[in-house]
This record gives sequence, structure tokens and C-alpha cells, in this order.
Amino acid sequence: MSTHRHAPRLTRRLMLGQTLGFSAALLAACSSQPPAPSKPAEPAKPAAPAPTTAPVPTAAPAAPAAPAAAAKPTEAPAAAAKPAAEAPKPTAAPAQAAAKPGVPGVLRAPEPSPKRGGKATFAFGVTTNHFDIHQAGGPASILWHTYNNLVRLDPTDGLKTIIPDLAESYDVSGNGTIYTFKLRQGVKWHDGTDFSADDILATFNRIIKPPDGMVSAFKPRFGALKSVEAPDKMTVKMTLTEPRAYFLELLTHESGIVYSKKALDENNQDLRKVIAPGTGAYVFKEHKVGERWVLEKNPNYWDKELPYIDTLEFIHAPQWSDRGTAILSNQADISWNVSKETYEEGQKRGNEIGTFMVPGAGAYQIYFNCAKKPFDDARVRRACHLALSRQDLFEAFKTQEPLNYTRYMSHGFEYAMSPDDVLKQPGYRADKKEDVEQAKKLLAEAGLADGLKNVVILTASVGPHAQTLTPATQAILKQNLGVDSTIKAVERAVLNDELRAGQWDLSLNTIGMPLYDPTLGWIDYFQTGAANNLGKYGNPKFDEMLKALDSEQDAAKRKTMFREMEDFLDQESPWMTIGFTSHLHMWKKYLKGMPFERVRLSWGKTETMWVDK
Amino acid sequence: MHLYILRRLLIAIPTLIGVTLLIFAAMRVLPGDPFATIEGESIGTIQLTPEQIAKARASLGLDRPYHVQYLAWIGDVLRGNLGTSFWRGEPLSELILRRAPITIQIAIMAVLLSWVIGLPVGMLSATRRNSWLDYLARVFVTLFQAIPSFFLGMLVILIGILYFSWRPSLTIVYLWDDPYINLEMTVGPALALGLGLGAFIARIARSSTLEVLNEDYVRTARAKGLGDRWILVRHVLKNALLPVVTVSGLAFGGLIGGSVAVERAFGVPGLGLALVMAVAERDWMLIQNLALFYGLVFVLVNLLVDVSYAWIDPRIRYS
Repeated sequence: MSTHRHAPRLTRRLMLGQTLGFSAALLAACSSQPPAPSKPAEPAKPAAPAPTTAPVPTAAPAAPAAPAAAAKPTEAPAAAAKPAAEAPKPTAAPAQAAAKPGVPGVLRAPEPSPKRGGKATFAFGVTTNHFDIHQAGGPASILWHTYNNLVRLDPTDGLKTIIPDLAESYDVSGNGTIYTFKLRQGVKWHDGTDFSADDILATFNRIIKPPDGMVSAFKPRFGALKSVEAPDKMTVKMTLTEPRAYFLELLTHESGIVYSKKALDENNQDLRKVIAPGTGAYVFKEHKVGERWVLEKNPNYWDKELPYIDTLEFIHAPQWSDRGTAILSNQADISWNVSKETYEEGQKRGNEIGTFMVPGAGAYQIYFNCAKKPFDDARVRRACHLALSRQDLFEAFKTQEPLNYTRYMSHGFEYAMSPDDVLKQPGYRADKKEDVEQAKKLLAEAGLADGLKNVVILTASVGPHAQTLTPATQAILKQNLGVDSTIKAVERAVLNDELRAGQWDLSLNTIGMPLYDPTLGWIDYFQTGAANNLGKYGNPKFDEMLKALDSEQDAAKRKTMFREMEDFLDQESPWMTIGFTSHLHMWKKYLKGMPFERVRLSWGKTETMWVDK
Repeated sequence: MHLYILRRLLIAIPTLIGVTLLIFAAMRVLPGDPFATIEGESIGTIQLTPEQIAKARASLGLDRPYHVQYLAWIGDVLRGNLGTSFWRGEPLSELILRRAPITIQIAIMAVLLSWVIGLPVGMLSATRRNSWLDYLARVFVTLFQAIPSFFLGMLVILIGILYFSWRPSLTIVYLWDDPYINLEMTVGPALALGLGLGAFIARIARSSTLEVLNEDYVRTARAKGLGDRWILVRHVLKNALLPVVTVSGLAFGGLIGGSVAVERAFGVPGLGLALVMAVAERDWMLIQNLALFYGLVFVLVNLLVDVSYAWIDPRIRYS
């Protein structure tokens, strides 16, 4: 090639270099939002709602009015009766919603005349790597709308009460080990087949006795479920090895979603690549990866009155701020979790936007590597726990997420110690003088009077908690206890491997309790050798306490046990809790049919929601 | 010319092979792999045994020797099969086809905007050298070059939300589906990218215009009594365009692959955002194929730029 031209003063090579450099800088500048345990609540104040009462099981729920003839497509009034455990008195149902009184678990919007039709758009992260919820796929929060559980939390009372779902009623034996469910008649799968006890058997047997090659994500949670039997076509009997106070709550979770036996059989027990039909109020319509899902009303839903809304759309907004701005800009109607600044902007627009903080079941915490000196010594761990100022950490994090003063269970759990009482505890209280003195004494007793040196704090390389809480922790421990440490920041992709490799002393991380009742979470995080006991903590005495707690049914005894165990954990300090967080719900006020002021998190199931516009 | 284009395309082959080797090696050198990330997301839910981990890695083909993985990938690409995302199982050809139009549209709009802003400002600045207009233009040029485009993006979002309850669409809407919503979605990112690039173009245009203004043929034109405007349009503009075209071509390629931060700031589901997610998730297959796509775009844009020289400046001949 020969060219004859004016040579540009800026050569292409130079430009290419600059462009690539710029691109690399941009790439480095951005990073995906890390998973966070939950979303904010005010620091120093408990979240607005009362602590989550353990969901109240309702063995024989009262019956609300149930549906009659299908109403007109729009603006047909529906029954206003509120069902279930709080012994509701069914209100007189409008004529078209007249119904099947006596049918338990039938839900209605609390308003007298819910409108039908329309669309509701949710904004949150909706990516998934497969669709099998029982293999830890998902996103359960979306697919849940297409499925049912045996029992569920009542969306019309803020998720306080457990009510029947696919079960019409249930009975628990006196010793708490046998659960008998009478199944709902007339339920059909989206593919038209009839629902029966066979589906329950197929679902739960797959969880507790997974076929070869299947990773049963919830098997540990159902560890006490010995057998599932079907005395007849519409009755299921679940037998536990020991009683579990949280068993019904577990069945309300996504772990209790019921799959079709036919779908399981047709797919060789593996639903990762298929969106299996459900029995739920919505059917799957469209999925654009990393962009959106669309679900449509199930015309054959067993409750002919529900759902009120025709279409549910879920748009992918992994950033909390994008979710909030989606609502503020009318692109979405609701998000279960928005950023703090958009939440505050939503509060300013209170005439059109509703906001509410819901206690989360996740927390920020700092693991100790209990398998490595000097943190194999409980005195050293407790010294750090005492010296760590939660107040300073909250202050450092206040622009990101307000945190709650908690110990080892969510502030949303009914047995959680109140924030005021937490703040009286050593380690958590604001005045550190006495705690720091005690911490130094403990270090001296452990032979570390000169302080801790060469401590490695492992953390993720991105994320507000990694970028703010980790250096703040480092500074606080240095200031209060003279701990010399270095931060080892690694990408999320390798954090797990690094944690397993064990070349660290402290690790700031996030945890999530499977239920608000922390029993299962504690077993998973603190029991000797447990799957997620990444700090390798182990204490036979605590293992015994866990075993006793797990099988205890008496509420008063459990409350005492929880308190004793938290005291024990404070002494042992397998990790330092920074605080449980809360989620920030934000929604357009034209959404009605269920209170969004919930006592717990649940991102699925909105059949009674309707659009008032 | 045709022979030249053919030769350039043939030369592109080793370039693209180099790209594939580099990106493939880079992904393997980085710590962590797609499975580690997928597993990391499940922490707190499930904990796999070493056997299960090995089996899962094998199911993704990660247990094969590197050269086998590389050759399998190249073989698939040559057969037109870009594979599927490790993380989401989505066919990558679908992902690229769905997201590329938005990213390319934003890049085209940004380049056009940069020309609309940069060329007049640069030429005005050159012809009114050292006047207050020149100083003002240079201040703005420096300002917009200094402000990162994603920061401009954040400002646009903030102002949009706080004062107009507006933000660009979070879901893809193509120009041919709904032009209004599509423009709503793309104008912001194009503005954020185009202003910075426009400032750069203005600088380039100013300096090249100044250079051309000092050429003998411009002096001759003036001596012939031609008007300033005629000289500027007829003799200066075309000659001053060459470096601008060079910069724009390279910038376009950069915008296709490098609008990551702006797409992130606006939440626009384009290729840049997909790349960010892929890097965080170690979705090797997606990163490899996007890098190859970007490489291809760069090669083609460079070729187009070179071919356009001959059109802009007839003195340039390819043989």
C-alpha cells in the first residue's frame, strides 16, 4: 500500500492507546453492585415496625368470602373480607364476589371495590443462572408469583400470619412431629393437569432425598423432615424426627414452593433449564435475560376472583438507586429495596409515593478466623468485640445504609433484644472506656499485652461495606486496641476461595438468615463444621445449646434460650456483628390491595394487589 | 481500492486472532472463574462438596486444558456459534443482537453530537484566534474534557429526577419500536459521551484548522481575493477534517466498547453494561465474545476511516 496524504498530527496509534487507556480506566472505575444483606433503617433507632412476631400458624383459619362468578374485566368489586388467623369477621361481600364461605386461605383486597386489570411494574435485580428454585436458582421472587406453597404468610395483614395456601387446612400433632395437610380441591397446574398429593410428595422427596447430580439447596433446612406420605389423593402427612418450632414458617418460604410431579418427571427431576408450570395466580409470559420478566394473569387460577392485576412486569435494576429512580420517574410502580437517597426523595413526595422500612434478615459482620492464632483464643476475639465501636461504624456508613443495633438475630424477630437494651451491652454501648479497658486486660491475659500485629482483614474489593466499613473497622481497632492490620481486598469472584483457604484473620462480610427465627442460621453459621461456618468456630457447649434450641417448642423457653445463647456468643465472639439492616420499600400509592408496611421481607406473591388509576 | 480493502481485511485476521489470544489468556490469568462466582453468590444458601464443585466445573467445560478450551471456542465462533453465557445460559448471539443496536446508536449519536458541537467551535476558535470567543471556547473545551462522562451522566440523571421526574428507560426500546422512548433512553448517554468527545473534537479541529490556515494554498486563495467564508468552507474545512475523522473513527470504536461507565450511570442495558456484569461474574464466554466483537468493530471502523481519507482528500491514493 502506498499513501500520499497529510499526516494527521495525532497518530492513530497514539489515539488507540489513549482510547484503550480511557476504556480501561472506565472499566476500573465501575463495578457491579455487591450483594448487600439488606437495606436501611435509621441508625440508633429501631425500624419503624414492631418486631416480627413469629408468624402465627392458624390451624383452622376462618373463612373469608370466596369468589363467585368471574367478574367483568375491569372495576368489578371483589370481596372485602380479610381471612385468616386474626379471627377476621368476614365483611359482607359484594354480590359479584359472593363466594364459598368456609374456604380457608382465600384472600381478598381489604378495600371494598378493587379494580381489575392493568399492569404493575416492579424494579429490582432479576437475573438468574437457572430456574430451579430448589437448586438455589431463581429468581424466586419473580417465579414465586407462578407457584404456591402448602401454607403462606398473609399479604393482607403485613405477613404476620401463616394461612393455608395449597392446603385448605392443616393439623399439627401434639408432640409437634406430624403435620397433616388437607389439600385444596379444584387446583390445576398451568398445563391443565390436576394438582394432588403426588405433587407434594414429588416436591418434598426431591428436596430431602435428591437424585444423583442434584444439589438440593434446602435439604439442610428440612433436615428434620423424615418422611412425606399421602394417605389419600388430597391429604399429605409430613413426619419430623423431632419437633421444629419454625417448620411451618419454613414451608411459607421459597423452600416450600410446590412443583408439579409431571414437570419433574418430564425433566428428569431437573428444572434448571425450564420454567416449570405452577399453580399460582400468574403464568410466565416472557423473559429477556438481564432485562425483564413478564407474567400474566392465570385465567384458571383456583381462586376465580384473583389476581386483580392482569400483568406483572419486573425490570432489571440491580442498582438500588436505579430502582428508586425508576419509581420516581414513573417507570416502575414498586420496589422492595431502593437506595437511601431515592427513598428520602420518595418520602418528600409522600402524596404520591409510599415508603416503609422493613427489618431485614441480613447483617454486616466481621468473621474471626477461629482456626488460626491468635483468634483461636476466645479472649482475643472478645477483646476485639469489646473494642469495636458500632457507633463509629454506623456513622461511617450512614450515607450508604443506616444500620440497626442488633446482636446475632434480626431486629425483626420477636425475641430480638430491643436496640435500647443492646446499647447497654458491653461492646455495643457508646461509652467505650470500660470496654476498652476490659479488652486490653483480655489481650494481656492471652499473652498479647503488646497488642495484635500483622492482622490480615480480608474483604471484597468493591461494595460500600468493603470500601467503608472495612477501613473504618481497621481504624477503630487500631485506635481502641492498637491492632496493626492490613486490608486484603479481593474480587467477589475469589472471595469464597480466599475464605476457604484461610489465610486471613478477620473478614468483613455479609450474612443472611434463612428465616427470621435465627435457629437455622445459627446452625449454619456457628455449629462445628457447618457449611457456612467460614470462621471455623466450634464449641461443643454451643453445639449442645443449638441442638436443644432446635427441638424446643415452648415459646417461653425458646425466648430464654435465645437470650442465653446470644450472651454466650458475645463471650465467644465467633464474629462481631456490626448490625442487621432493613429494606426500603417504595411504591406508588395507587397500588392497593395489601399493606406494603410489612413486618418481614417477602418479595413475592401479590395476588390481592390492584391498581387504583 | 478493492484490492486494498481486501488486503486490509486479510491483515485483520491475525489482528483478531491476537485479540482472541489476549483476551483468552487474560481471563485465565485473572483469579477466579465463572463457577467460583456462581458459587459465591450462593454462599449462605448452599455449600458444595469438592466432588460437586468438580462436576459443576466440568459441566461448564472448565476442566479441559486451556488449549482445548481455546480451540473449542474458536471453532464455535467460526461455525457462527458464540456459545452461551456461563452465568445466565443465554445464547450470546442473542445478547449481542439485542443490546448492540442500543450501544451502537448511542455511539453514533455521540459522534454526531461531537461533530455538531466540536467542528464549529473548533473552527470558530481557530479563525478568531486569541479573541474572547476563542478564550471562551477553550474554557468550555477544557471543562468538558476534564469532566468524566459518567459524572455528566449522573448530573443528567439527578437533574432529570429531581426537577422533571424523568430518567432514561431501564429497558430496551428500539428506535423502530418507539422513537420517542428510544430517544429518551439514548439522548442522555449520547449527551454525556458526546460533550466530552465534542470538546476533544473542538481541540483537534482548532489545531488542524490553524495548521491549514497557514498553508500556501490558503494564502493563494486569499491573494486571489476569495472571501473568508468561501476559503473556510471550500479550502480549509475538508483539509482540516482528516485528523477529526481519525479521532472520530477511533472514538466510535472506543464508544462501542468503552461506554461502560455511562451505560452504568444511566442504567442503559447496552453492551457496556453487559460487559461490566460479565467481568464481575467472570463470565468468560461473554467477555471473550464481546472482546472479539469489539475487535471486529475496531478493525472495520479503522478501515472505513482509511477509506474515507481518499474521499475527503483526493490527493490520497490507495494502490
